Amino acid sequence: MPKCTIDGKELDVPAGTTVIQAGLMAGIEIPHFCWHPDLPVDGNCRMCLVEIEKMPKLQIACNTLVTDGMVVRTKSEKAVEAHRTTLEFLLINHPIDCPVCDQAGECSLQDNYMGHGLYDSKVELEDKVRKRKVVDLGPIMLDAERCVLCTRCIRFEREVTGTNSFELVNRGDHTEISTFEGRPVMHDYAGNLADVCPVGALLSHDFRFKMRVWFLKSHESVCPGCSTGCNVFVDERDGEVQRLRPRRNVDVNKSWMCDLGRASYKEIGLTSRVSGARRKGASSWEGVTVPAALDTVAGRIKEAGSASAFLASPQATNEDLFAFRLLAEAVGGKLDFRVGDPQAKVRVRSDNVLLREDRNPNTQGCLDQGLGRAGVAAILEGCRSGAVKALVLQGPELLRVPEAVEALARVPFIAVMATHEGPELERAHAVLPAAVWAEGDGTFTNYARRLQRLQRAVAAPGDALPRWELAKGLLDRLGQPLAATSAREVFALLAKVVSDYVALDYRAIGPEGRALPLADEGPAREARA
Amino acid sequence: MATRVITVDRGQRAGAFPILLGHWITLQNFLKTLFGGQASTIQFPEQKRPHSERYRGIHLLTAREDGSPKCVACYMCATVCPAECIYIESGERPEKTIEKYPTRFEIDLLRCVYCGFCVDACPEEAILMSRENDLVGTSRAELIIDRDRLMARGELVEHGPGYRPVDHDVRRPVRIAALERLEKEHGIVPGMPKR
Repeated sequence: MPKCTIDGKELDVPAGTTVIQAGLMAGIEIPHFCWHPDLPVDGNCRMCLVEIEKMPKLQIACNTLVTDGMVVRTKSEKAVEAHRTTLEFLLINHPIDCPVCDQAGECSLQDNYMGHGLYDSKVELEDKVRKRKVVDLGPIMLDAERCVLCTRCIRFEREVTGTNSFELVNRGDHTEISTFEGRPVMHDYAGNLADVCPVGALLSHDFRFKMRVWFLKSHESVCPGCSTGCNVFVDERDGEVQRLRPRRNVDVNKSWMCDLGRASYKEIGLTSRVSGARRKGASSWEGVTVPAALDTVAGRIKEAGSASAFLASPQATNEDLFAFRLLAEAVGGKLDFRVGDPQAKVRVRSDNVLLREDRNPNTQGCLDQGLGRAGVAAILEGCRSGAVKALVLQGPELLRVPEAVEALARVPFIAVMATHEGPELERAHAVLPAAVWAEGDGTFTNYARRLQRLQRAVAAPGDALPRWELAKGLLDRLGQPLAATSAREVFALLAKVVSDYVALDYRAIGPEGRALPLADEGPAREARA
Repeated sequence: MATRVITVDRGQRAGAFPILLGHWITLQNFLKTLFGGQASTIQFPEQKRPHSERYRGIHLLTAREDGSPKCVACYMCATVCPAECIYIESGERPEKTIEKYPTRFEIDLLRCVYCGFCVDACPEEAILMSRENDLVGTSRAELIIDRDRLMARGELVEHGPGYRPVDHDVRRPVRIAALERLEKEHGIVPGMPKR
């Protein structure tokens, strides 16, 4: 464990730590462009020069390992002047188009100029080397003039996706990044290129000109796109989600997320959201209040008793699932969650980066709570034979399965908690408006049994409620009220019952989640508990 | 707590003299107005008072030579606006050198406090303030003025442009603050690098 001193702070860091990492551990930010915590070190930008005692010249902090007794100064006169002159060198040909650049506000160049630059440019505007602007690369927009040639994008393509789309072309101050023949970026991780780019050279096409970033408010959450459960920030303004951004978690997604997950925010603000309850009257649908719809549903499942069936949804949070499970147990109905094939593939990878075959975020949570009981086939058989008198669905998945349509038509009463309108809702008899993942607190358990928290980012439309609240409404009407008024309290109840979740609460889960022991590692399980 | 009475002598004198003094001043003004042509009032709205060169009245958007807005939709004005009365939506311009322009640009004049921060913040001199101050409308919606009305300068600007950032460099306060911070925290005075 080498000991070093950075700016007078004594540090004890693990062997193999670089100066820039050690600085971050001590809360000292050394200016940098090309260094990225999840990419290999390149050391080309020369921005992170620091003064190290007993070394004749300044050293780059990103590629210098901490050795015992090292004394580093990041703010000495020599170092600060090096930062300023390096920045001036990098900015020789940089255009002054911050007003139209989407990166403004989260741009390393802007931040470094205000923190370490502040020189007057010696290059006239007419003398700057002009490069290509507004090059459409599919999901990414390239502006070669803004590039500082840090090669983060090149290293991302080489190390993470293995696609090698980008390369440096030309020489000297005409060097720029380019894809071969300007072809579009074709892989599913293009959004990360905009994230790794420290300046505005690579920008997201989807987010282009949509919003200045300083208006956005970020909420820590988890992507609902697949069972990997990438950590994200939900960026929202005035209750409208504008984009998702990966949140660094070394154990799950590092700094990345896929474009499919990134696009999942678009589902939230659709006008086709279910915003009110309705039930089928004698001839047509009639809109009712949520309490009235809950009255109807509670009456029907009470009547059906053990002849009722419940189908949970792996799209729901652990809290939703727990309340739903209590509901099924309250009337003694059949319970399951497995609709279709992908849920069996919770750990199967779709590609070599992040995406998994199971596009449900919480299949593992369903398994942990033991929701796979009666079997969907048995429930459908019951529907067909008339044994099921009332069916409650936590999501509309089953209504979309063509093979189930005929069986479902024989069920006298189907209630569904739905987030989006769709033709399949016609097959139900009561529709309850449900909130989506970003509209409530909760937890997901990912494929590796990592329990991760979601935080409410925006308000649900209209009367829509989180699914646990809908289930709570039904439980109240069945005379078995749920002793919880928030997702946090539902989780506290859940943690009393479900093994491995025992003694956990939202604080213990923390912002980066909490790894639960894997089912097949018996001794390790006890050791970790 | 006991009540304390403070007696103040303001030098007032009782009697008829102060009343007569007041009447004398009134009479003087009456005569000045009637015969001297020195009225303090004007015949508004036919007559209007001249405003200062830097008067902060209703905004206007300036245009490029081809008539398109100079504004690049950078949202600086909307960001700095303390009344949050500016609403902008941006779109893509065909010229690659400009890229961005406002497809919508609305100012709610009923919310505006006429502070002029938007003019100071603008990097393009795209938003200025006129010397016009007659704000009359028959509905609230009428007083939310859109891009095209802000662009229609001749119609809007009766008295010529008012407040505009020509006589001082608006970027200086920010820069000076940053330079002072640099000098105070690190003892550095930027300039030509030392050889």
